[in-house]
Amino acid sequence: MTNTLHRQGALESLKRDYIVFAHTAKGINREGSAPKIREFMRICLKYHPVNMGDVKQGSMHQDDIAIESLIANLGEGTVAAAVFTDLDTLEKVVQELIRADLGICINITGLLDEVKECCRKAGIARHSAEHSLGIWGAKDRLPEREVMEFNTMCGHGMVSFNLIRKMIEQVRMRRMTPKRAALMMAKCCECGAFNPARAEALLERMRERGFLYSER
Amino acid sequence: MDIDKTKCVGCGNCHIICTMGAISLDAEGKSVVNQDECVECSTCWRVLRDEGYRAWYVRAIRKALSFFKLGYLADADLCPTGALTPPELTWPRILRAQFSNPTVVHPGTGVPGRGTDEIKSNDVTGRLRRGEAGIVVEIGRPGIGAFFRDVEKVAMALAPLAPIFEPENPVTHLISDFKTGRMKEDVLDEKILSAIIEFKTGMEKIPAFLGVLEKVQHEIDTVMSVGVASRCLPDGTIPHEEWVRKAGYTLSPNGKTNLGLGRPLFREDEP
Repeated sequence: MTNTLHRQGALESLKRDYIVFAHTAKGINREGSAPKIREFMRICLKYHPVNMGDVKQGSMHQDDIAIESLIANLGEGTVAAAVFTDLDTLEKVVQELIRADLGICINITGLLDEVKECCRKAGIARHSAEHSLGIWGAKDRLPEREVMEFNTMCGHGMVSFNLIRKMIEQVRMRRMTPKRAALMMAKCCECGAFNPARAEALLERMRERGFLYSER
Repeated sequence: MDIDKTKCVGCGNCHIICTMGAISLDAEGKSVVNQDECVECSTCWRVLRDEGYRAWYVRAIRKALSFFKLGYLADADLCPTGALTPPELTWPRILRAQFSNPTVVHPGTGVPGRGTDEIKSNDVTGRLRRGEAGIVVEIGRPGIGAFFRDVEKVAMALAPLAPIFEPENPVTHLISDFKTGRMKEDVLDEKILSAIIEFKTGMEKIPAFLGVLEKVQHEIDTVMSVGVASRCLPDGTIPHEEWVRKAGYTLSPNGKTNLGLGRPLFREDEP
């Protein structure tokens, strides 16, 4: 799953975008991990994430998904994620996860220097890191930069270019609020990695500065 | 995905949700799926709520509204009649769902999503050790999709440099010859949302691999997202940064960090 690796956007926008997720390895720490993943999610929930979910059940913004039952039904082998929008909260989450000592693998996607500093403050050194080298190939087939900022928040590609354009159009026509349009996009993302607060802020910014003005 | 024509009222909501833009209206005003372009991600089926109305009822309401020159702006996440019908998939078409629908667990790896591990459990597996770099090439992402013949082109370009293809990766399972990178013949015409070629190599070979990707990117009719990973040094430094910069590429300011909280922690002196 590289689904959180290639998120695009301006630095200021990426400062409001941190995804914490739990993973396990078959034959090492996966077996019997379900209660630990549930505890991971309970810890995240205490700090009011803007999204959370797992690929097997969906995210908290989908229809008929109650957060308590989502956590209760988490099984081993799943990838559970929660999204936060500020570094202070992220630091608190990391500190509590260290104290909980769950033994499952914890990863964070976000600005690497900020996450490194967060680790330092928590008294740990990061173990491994991964960078994106961006998009290669037939880039002329891609839409405007603004559309890409929304689309790359769901790395599984569940938020279509057409839906993003439609939501931008609905906000432009004042038929939808930025918040409602952002939640509509979040509903498509299965794993809960989409950041609806950032999407809402991007739509608000568009309303102030203009819609889809950048080149493809 | 299939659409039940006896139920469809041609509202067009599924056209917008479709990740590949593979749904359109036919001559009868009903939605139809381009089966060559559909990647069986089932996003339309999962996201659109079935309102459970009968097709004749929806059409009658529309006619009545139209008579009075009235319109109704429905929510985008509805299928009024529940016309979307997920089909039973067989080989090789089932690969489309396995590589495009994140709720489907890859049978070979037991991991949902795109089925890869990368650095997510590197603290306990030691998959990437000191001096090694992991490279991921996700073909079709973002939002364009790819045929396995595109994936094969990239795999064949990389193969002469002798990458160590990740054994627990679903694309690796489809490569029939690791020396040439050739994939199984019967999968090449299948379209997926994206597929990740994942391999590791020595840190010093990063520039050579990126050079190969630089060339092959012009030979595929889609996009690819490239990532590089490694185990950090004890002070938290990321060793691959230097090699990527030397090769003339720009690193993203954001990325993924494994915090090293998994247990039992892998030790470098383990075999």
